[in-house]
Amino acid sequence: MSAESALDRAPLRGFKDFYQYASTTRIIAGRDLLASTGFEFLKEGAGRVFLVTDEVIRATGLVDRVEAGVVDGGLELAGVFDDVPQDSSTEIVERCAAAAKEAGADSFLAVGGGSVMDTAKVADAVFTHGGSAREQEGFLLMPREADGMGRPLEIAPLACIPTTAGTGSEASMAAVIKDHEHKVKLEIADFPLFPRLAILDPETTRTLPASVAAATGIDAMTHAIEGYVSNDWSAHGDARSLHALRLIRDNLERAVEGGESDEEARGNMLIAANLAITIALGSVHAMSHPAGAHFGVPHGVANAIHLPHVIRHNAAGAADIADRYRDIGELLGIDEPEIGDALADHITALVARLGLPTRLSQAGVPESGIPVLVDGAMGDGTTLLNPREMGEEDYAELYRRAL
Amino acid sequence: MAYFRDADEVYAYIGRLFEELAQDDELAPKFSKANTIVQYHYREPESTITVKLIDGEEGQVDCGTTTMEPEVVMTMDADTAHRFWLGKVNVTVALARGQMKAKGPVAKILKLVPLVKPVFPRYHRLLEENGRQDLLEAA
Repeated sequence: MSAESALDRAPLRGFKDFYQYASTTRIIAGRDLLASTGFEFLKEGAGRVFLVTDEVIRATGLVDRVEAGVVDGGLELAGVFDDVPQDSSTEIVERCAAAAKEAGADSFLAVGGGSVMDTAKVADAVFTHGGSAREQEGFLLMPREADGMGRPLEIAPLACIPTTAGTGSEASMAAVIKDHEHKVKLEIADFPLFPRLAILDPETTRTLPASVAAATGIDAMTHAIEGYVSNDWSAHGDARSLHALRLIRDNLERAVEGGESDEEARGNMLIAANLAITIALGSVHAMSHPAGAHFGVPHGVANAIHLPHVIRHNAAGAADIADRYRDIGELLGIDEPEIGDALADHITALVARLGLPTRLSQAGVPESGIPVLVDGAMGDGTTLLNPREMGEEDYAELYRRAL
Repeated sequence: MAYFRDADEVYAYIGRLFEELAQDDELAPKFSKANTIVQYHYREPESTITVKLIDGEEGQVDCGTTTMEPEVVMTMDADTAHRFWLGKVNVTVALARGQMKAKGPVAKILKLVPLVKPVFPRYHRLLEENGRQDLLEAA
């Protein structure tokens, strides 16, 4: 299929004109790894570690164990910042960077979910290069050698210990931070934001509430599905997405229902989320980012609500898009001619079994909010990566269906 | 060798295209929904075009120096800009490869990308009308 212009949709099969793939984070996964945090982080150049977390995680006692692991490995603990809220902000990032500077830190260790890890990433960039959190916004815009065209300059060593199995931020080059003043989520992506180390230990999700395990698990599932169907697909990404989906198929409900008692399911969900993470996304994320920015809908919940509607819409757009969903359906045991409807129904049923909202109105979004959501979705970078071209009317209709 | 000989050539074609769009009764209101001032900083040849896209206000295009304060700055080779307006550049790939760099609230500009397809033939025509077959063939 030849395109009229480079902006026309490229087919989701064949050999691509171009893609790039990078995954530079060293990942260690397994049991009882927290005690060796310092031993492992030392290998990445850490000396005086600034630990970033939130109050909820700290109250579980997990942070104490990580701190002990840091010191046991011969590192110093420069300080702890536990003031990260559910949706972190530019103000929090700047306070975190200033606190790390004040503490004389030389490295960052994030212990928490997506908000904590993204805070640590952007705070590290501000700590290393200066400027404000807002000034970090952009795609591949961090300081580089050769007048901005060469190798990106490194930031201080960063390690992440995720305490949810969903965001995958511990192995991604992206961070999302809320800008309360402008009511937008700033998206920052560049290679130095890949953490140098990620530690995946199911002990970190042992006390995770079922509702959070469910929402974050659906976030991971959304990454895997959108990544596989995005027009920014790649063979490397496909391999990760499909195996992530196998793990999610076999472990998500077990991890939510079994919780504390099912270490294996929790461990496999940490790996699934880590495999699923990608910046090749699509309209589910384009719709969920403004829902979070304007109405505070948690990211995983927003994805759970939007995913079935976007699947139906995309699958009806072209045969090659439907074929990609068919691959996913096959893996999930769905063999129906109308794959868009069948897969969407499957996910809606899963979301309901997990006890998550299936409608935006249940998450506090009013009908009057649709115009501002449409505007946000149209301006979200992931809209350009959706396999079916999206317009304002398309988004308005999808939000109405999701309401 | 760069497609454009100097900044004046960039302004004569790409700048002219922006000026035409700013006066277009159908497209100008759609682009002005971006509600921002965007500056295109081109390399080889060094040139700058600043465009006001403010909802409800008349469009403004400054080639070269400007008194407008840009909110979004897009940086790329003038060759990339030329190929973009001919419909030959995939924006997501160009961003991924660093051929296009966007600074500021990029969302305001990204939402315009789907709107630019009708502009490609216009740029093609502009070059043809000015006898610049060489620029069409070079890209």
